[in-house]
Amino acid sequence: MLSRTAENLYWISRYMERAETMARLLDVGYRMSLFPNPKGYHNEWDSVLSAAGAAQGYFTKYNEINQENVEDYIFFDEENPSSVYSCISKARNNALLVRTAFTPEAWVAINKSYKEILELKNKKFTRADLPNFTEWTIQQVNMFRGSANSLLRNDGYHFIFLGTFIERADNSARLLDVKYFVLLPTADYIGGNLDNLQWIILLRSLSSFRAFRWAYDGDVTSTKIAHFFILNNDCSRSLSFCINNIVYHLNCLKCSPDKISDIYSGLKSVHSSVKDETVESIIEYGLHEYVTNFVSKISFLDNQIQNHFFR
Amino acid sequence: MFDEMYSDDAQIRKHYLQVNSWLRTMSSTVISQKNFEAESHFKRIGITFSVKDDDMTERIIPFDLIPRILTNYEWAKIEKGVLQRAKALNAFLHDTYNSGEIFKAGVIPKEIVYKKSSYDQSMINFSPPRKIYSPIIGVDLVRTGKDEFYVLEDNCRTPSGVSYMLENREIMMKMFPDLFHTNRVLRVDDYPTRLLQTLMSLAPKKCDSSIPTVVLLTPGHLNSAYYEHTFLSDQMGIEMVESQDLFVENDLLYMKTVDGPKKIDVVYRRIDDEFLDPLCYNPDSVIGVPGITQVYKTGGVNICSAPGAGIADDKAIYIFVPEMIKFYLGETPILDNVETWRCERDDELTYVLENIEKLVVKEVDGSGGYGMLIGPKSTKDQISEFSTKLKSNPRGYIAQPTLDLSSSPTLIDNEVSGRRVDLRPFCLVGEKVQLCPGGLTRVALNKGSYVVNSSQGGGVKDTWVLAD
Repeated sequence: MLSRTAENLYWISRYMERAETMARLLDVGYRMSLFPNPKGYHNEWDSVLSAAGAAQGYFTKYNEINQENVEDYIFFDEENPSSVYSCISKARNNALLVRTAFTPEAWVAINKSYKEILELKNKKFTRADLPNFTEWTIQQVNMFRGSANSLLRNDGYHFIFLGTFIERADNSARLLDVKYFVLLPTADYIGGNLDNLQWIILLRSLSSFRAFRWAYDGDVTSTKIAHFFILNNDCSRSLSFCINNIVYHLNCLKCSPDKISDIYSGLKSVHSSVKDETVESIIEYGLHEYVTNFVSKISFLDNQIQNHFFR
Repeated sequence: MFDEMYSDDAQIRKHYLQVNSWLRTMSSTVISQKNFEAESHFKRIGITFSVKDDDMTERIIPFDLIPRILTNYEWAKIEKGVLQRAKALNAFLHDTYNSGEIFKAGVIPKEIVYKKSSYDQSMINFSPPRKIYSPIIGVDLVRTGKDEFYVLEDNCRTPSGVSYMLENREIMMKMFPDLFHTNRVLRVDDYPTRLLQTLMSLAPKKCDSSIPTVVLLTPGHLNSAYYEHTFLSDQMGIEMVESQDLFVENDLLYMKTVDGPKKIDVVYRRIDDEFLDPLCYNPDSVIGVPGITQVYKTGGVNICSAPGAGIADDKAIYIFVPEMIKFYLGETPILDNVETWRCERDDELTYVLENIEKLVVKEVDGSGGYGMLIGPKSTKDQISEFSTKLKSNPRGYIAQPTLDLSSSPTLIDNEVSGRRVDLRPFCLVGEKVQLCPGGLTRVALNKGSYVVNSSQGGGVKDTWVLAD
């Protein structure tokens, strides 16, 4: 497989994954805006922007935070490189370049999303449309993932899913980092139960609100939530789940043995940060420090993948 | 005017009977709906004429639902004639760049060739694998009578349009499967397999594998034929590469893959000669591969078509193709050329100027239906303007009679109406010389028009060759 093709496939899935994260984040902000604002907390749009990594860009364009502007910035703004629109449009451009590595279904899925978001972007929207946009985005990403199943199980397929899980690991970790303080043991005193809005934000932004309840019956504690997001192998957005999948798809590459050994150290270090830890050891080490460390390990691994396979 | 469906006594020709009764069963509502279906299909798969970032400029070529049908008998003659031509053209290319027997024999004046910009001096004394310069030849044919087919031009470089031949058939089979039960239509869907076999049979001498690595070299997604490039490489299961994927080392050509460098044996290039190699041709080319010519000349890779192959489809050389067939093959040409006057000859120029309102005058280096004058369709002013250009540069023009192109039933505003058509079959020249039974039929959608080019109101049809 051409290096350029592999690189494009890797980025197509990263962009699609990112589009979903952005849409889910907005949905969280939207829900929170419908509830009475708990005293002593910042405006939730604020944390939506920082979780999206879009705060800096937003404030160069707008002076104050309001829902409409945040929505527009995160959904449609071409100047925001991570807006849903930018992600889908970049994914589509990459797909155009690698059409031979795609099945017609996979191409049609992306091309259709792009054409539709162009239309949505040109229409004036109202606040009430936001849940529809989120739903629409999630549908598009699911369609893309579903169509990827029609691909030949060759290196291209594995590069697509490598991209998906590298991006998801990074997104999940960043989300955790924005909200890490609500998972500190002391946070139990702040809210005291699952009605704690901050916990709900976290669970919803990782689309795991219901999953958590199924996975952990009875007693709800911040430690369990931390475990769910970091170490639970059944949670499809946990750091551990993402790492397992990264390892799996790297090992499936037909071209792998030599190159895998080159990136083995990076892989091993990121793997050990989910395999050799317990929630207690992580909290003792410092949740924030742990997550920061994890993000930099993922980024190191990402660099190694790019250098070894795409250059 | 010859009508493909109706005979002179207004009877429906036998091979159109089934299609005619099928047409009668379709209400205009169904026709509109099927037209819409076909159009959305072409848009969705992205078989656009020009793929641009801005979506508003993506166009699709209008597709006509009524197939153009050729009987097996008609096809037999076309096939023989095209194969004959393809062999002669390749023989001519080899002769031109090597011993030049045809010039020594005085059959073709050598100045005509050596002065052309498509003549590539760097190819002198070089012989590509199997002496084949042009492995894919698109021959443009027009019909004026029952047994009268004429060759309008040959395309020896990188003829495009074959993806339409294949996609038009796919959509017809999808929308009207019953038609293919009642008519025995020869298949075209094995064209990509045949193309790949042809390219593999042209591996260079340094290729040590029994399965040569073939790639398609595209200028990139802004090229108007980009869809065809992706389509063909996908169908053949070969990599579609751009210049940035390739590099030259130790007189071999490699592509950068996730496994490391992989050697390439055959390049099916869809970029022009001029841009192939900045070290040998246009130094400003960013879509070419530096050093690829050197690899080619030392037998490390084969480039299809060969640089300089364009000399064989030059409009000034075209006139001599029947002579080539006699000279190289010792055969009588099966398909006729259109009578052509070379304006560079004084007596022929005089004839052209006197009869210009009856003739089609073309620029020798023009293409795509531009830079030409259709006498019977032009105003007095246009004619006098063109005559002036002709007199000042006679060498730059040729003239041909206005051919009465055959007419084929076509749906115009949901009604059947005759429109003029041409035909481009695609001949493959490798270990075998073969012609896929079908081709691209282009149709001039404007009433009375002779211009079938998609840039000027042309559409396309599925082309059927019947098995019996």
